[in-house]
Amino acid sequence: MARAIKQRLKSFEFTPYLVLGLALIILVVFIVYPLSKVVFNSFIELGDAPTLRNLTLANFSQFSTSTLYRSAFFNTMIVGLACVLFSCLIGIPMAYFVAKTQTPLKTFFLTLGTLPLILPPFVGAYSWILLFGRQGVVNYFLETVFNFKLPDIYGAPGVIIAITMSTYPFIFLLTYGALISADPYIEESAEIMGASRWRVIRTVTLPLVVPAIVAGALIVFMRSVGNFGVPAILGGNFYVLPTLIHFQVTGFFNLNAAAAIAMVNVVLVAAAILLSQYVTSRRSYVTITSTTQAARISSSKLLKWVGTIFCFGVIFFSLLPHLTVIFTSFTEGWAGTRYPNKFSLQNFRRIFEIALVPIRNSLFLATTATVIASVIGTLLSYINVRKNLRARWILDLTVMLPFILPGIVVGVAILVGFSSGLLILSGTWMIMVVGFFIRRMPYIFRSTTASLSQIDVAVEEASTITGAPWLTTFRKITLPLMAPGILAGAVISFATLMGELSTTVILYSARWKTISVAIVEYLFSATIGPAYALGTILIVLVLTAIFLANRILGRRMSQMFKMV
Amino acid sequence: MTEHDNSWITLSIRNLSKIFRSKHDQVQALDDVSLDIREGELFTLLGPSGCGKTTTLRCIAGFEKPSSGTIDFLGRDFTSLPPFRRNIGMVFQSYALFPHLSIFENVAYGLRIRKLSRREIEDRVNRIIALVGLEATQKRKPSELSGGQQQRIALARALVYDPQLLLLDEPLSNLDAKLRVYMREEIRRIQQQAKVTTIYVTHDQEEALSISDRIAVMHAGKVSQVGSPDEIYENPNTIRVADFIGQANFFACEVQQDAVPVVTFRSGERITLTNSSGSISSFQDREGILFVRPEQMEISADPDYPNSLRGEVKVILYLGSVVRYYIEIFQNHDPQEILADQDRRVQGVVVGDAVAVLVHGQEAKLFPTEQRQQLDKA
Repeated sequence: MARAIKQRLKSFEFTPYLVLGLALIILVVFIVYPLSKVVFNSFIELGDAPTLRNLTLANFSQFSTSTLYRSAFFNTMIVGLACVLFSCLIGIPMAYFVAKTQTPLKTFFLTLGTLPLILPPFVGAYSWILLFGRQGVVNYFLETVFNFKLPDIYGAPGVIIAITMSTYPFIFLLTYGALISADPYIEESAEIMGASRWRVIRTVTLPLVVPAIVAGALIVFMRSVGNFGVPAILGGNFYVLPTLIHFQVTGFFNLNAAAAIAMVNVVLVAAAILLSQYVTSRRSYVTITSTTQAARISSSKLLKWVGTIFCFGVIFFSLLPHLTVIFTSFTEGWAGTRYPNKFSLQNFRRIFEIALVPIRNSLFLATTATVIASVIGTLLSYINVRKNLRARWILDLTVMLPFILPGIVVGVAILVGFSSGLLILSGTWMIMVVGFFIRRMPYIFRSTTASLSQIDVAVEEASTITGAPWLTTFRKITLPLMAPGILAGAVISFATLMGELSTTVILYSARWKTISVAIVEYLFSATIGPAYALGTILIVLVLTAIFLANRILGRRMSQMFKMV
Repeated sequence: MTEHDNSWITLSIRNLSKIFRSKHDQVQALDDVSLDIREGELFTLLGPSGCGKTTTLRCIAGFEKPSSGTIDFLGRDFTSLPPFRRNIGMVFQSYALFPHLSIFENVAYGLRIRKLSRREIEDRVNRIIALVGLEATQKRKPSELSGGQQQRIALARALVYDPQLLLLDEPLSNLDAKLRVYMREEIRRIQQQAKVTTIYVTHDQEEALSISDRIAVMHAGKVSQVGSPDEIYENPNTIRVADFIGQANFFACEVQQDAVPVVTFRSGERITLTNSSGSISSFQDREGILFVRPEQMEISADPDYPNSLRGEVKVILYLGSVVRYYIEIFQNHDPQEILADQDRRVQGVVVGDAVAVLVHGQEAKLFPTEQRQQLDKA
């Protein structure tokens, strides 16, 4: 009997359960636990013990009593809806022009059209003031030449414009993807039945890409209602929920009230998800199959030129803030004067005096978090694809939650979770790494899931039957084959973490300021030059990472964003 | 070597069952399968898709855990041994070559895991790659090889570490027809040279007949018959096996047992079967289903030829090695189409002609009427 048990134990493979179990434990400790704790705490008043008897709606009552809370709620709604609307107005025509007309420079548009997704929007946000503000260059020019002034950009308009210019690529890229993979025969058959060009677009082409547009709109909405940096810099008295949360955390240290606002923010996101699912499920669509036939391209010369001008305009306008950042970083004391007059490296010299620590911090935190996210994300996607879990959707949802939730909400959850209780991390760099890695793990999870599902299970079985234990197979076969997916996810994760702001502002401590925190501080203290020099360094770091990854992986940047 | 000689048996499968459970239902993939595989033979699991042949193979490999039953290999209990401890070689339907490794590294993989010296690895890989005839490809990646070449590398990879058992899962199904015939001869040659006990899974009965020492015909998770290719083809034990292997004609009839059996067809026609096999003379029932292979049917241009069935030629197909005649006969007013393969064209017979069909008794066989339901086309 004992021998039989021993035999059994010997023949049982523990390693996969050990390794994969560890990944699942990390998932529970760092995502499930803080998120459930923040939900619970939002129903507990500050100072009360977190017990079932102390549950209350008091934290939410401010939404009916305080005008600040109410206006923040409505402002957030307005920002979200306006950004979706304007992103569609920009992204859909742009996708059509690039996919369906003879517009030249398609690769150029696709690559530069992806950039706003990687470049942190708050870095460029102040440029809008510099350009279009009351004292801005454009207004000065308009006033002296035409005696005309633009409406004030501070507040809602600035916030909406700045966010839209960083979110329209979601609509653009997703719609573009759907347009080029739609079966061209469907359009041709509409035409053969006598439909006019416009009618084909309206009744066939557009409905076929609606699911892609809805998916894009959902991401735009989630991004814009969760954006902290832009309203913090451009909002002024225009409060939105993320800035209100920040206010509660840093102003009153009231984490429970912040948790309640975060819940409201989450409810907005959840409502958007439900609405988008309702919209796509109510109508039935022809499955878009990719045929070998290339997408049909309009031969109209007019559309070609309209398209080119439109695309150039959008690209120029959306990258203008970042170009301004780079340009301004080489000037001395612009912002005070009408036009820049003196060019120098003074700002950079100053940065190397005062901001080496934030640069080092950002590099360290982003690298550490990316490595952890890569390891855990890869293991979790292995479980997701290879192990026949019945509750696979729970795993998928848990991993994706920090991606769906606003960054500042994740920040609050991590702070609530690890500033009391068994594991206290607040004030350390570790709490920032936790926040960073759970927020970026979805990127790795998605891209490795995609590359793993393309690997034939038989390839791994072939290794096993040859005599390789699980770990050997995983190391020598599975991992190398997943490597491109891991690298793609890791690069995007690293690049976007370098400029991460909304989780950082909740979790950072004096010793662990990052580039993004430093930039915001400089902007608030009106030291624009150094802020922009640091911004330029950030932009260069991000672009270098993406460029290197493109070189190694040999794919275009727009393709790397397929999973986002 | 007789059926009951145990000394030759290496792999012994006893009462193997496998039930796949999903959320709502369960599928019995294997139902009490018992098989004995002999040392050095090429044993084929043959059957239509879903018959359980691949599940059996995957249980032997260890990728599936049987719900009940045991697998014994040379006295060692395989049933709960993890696959990587079984020392098995396997060739997958998709070949499953490691796409990121060179051909050399693909083949060397199992040797590296066994921690052999560099010299020996090189030696063995070179020898096995020579055996499959692909010396020039070592530095290439799998994607640069043709399907047939990938197939051979997969075989080399599975054989290089001298496995005790070789498993082949539909290895030829991704090749085109001509290459398939060539490769099955290659597999046979290499298997004979390596002298390795081999289990081969296929749904292609022609492949199975040509390559195997013995065949197990499977259906719905059960083993229908085990035997040499000749036995399976000439002496199928059920209508289903007879129908699945090769072409077959079936006739509902009555049998009178005298010195020689006399078969009465539904049409009323009577035939005396000369040289009939034992199964007919020992047949107890009066009613049954007569099974005759097309090549056992002879056509005569004279419709009134004695001791024959009357029919009308519907289609003549020239197949190269044989000429196949589709002939319509009448069984109780219901038309039935039968096949008759002739070595060459029957002079003077064209489509629409009335002919006589002679039935050669020595390979004819009678099945009980109840087995009729096993026929898909009945």
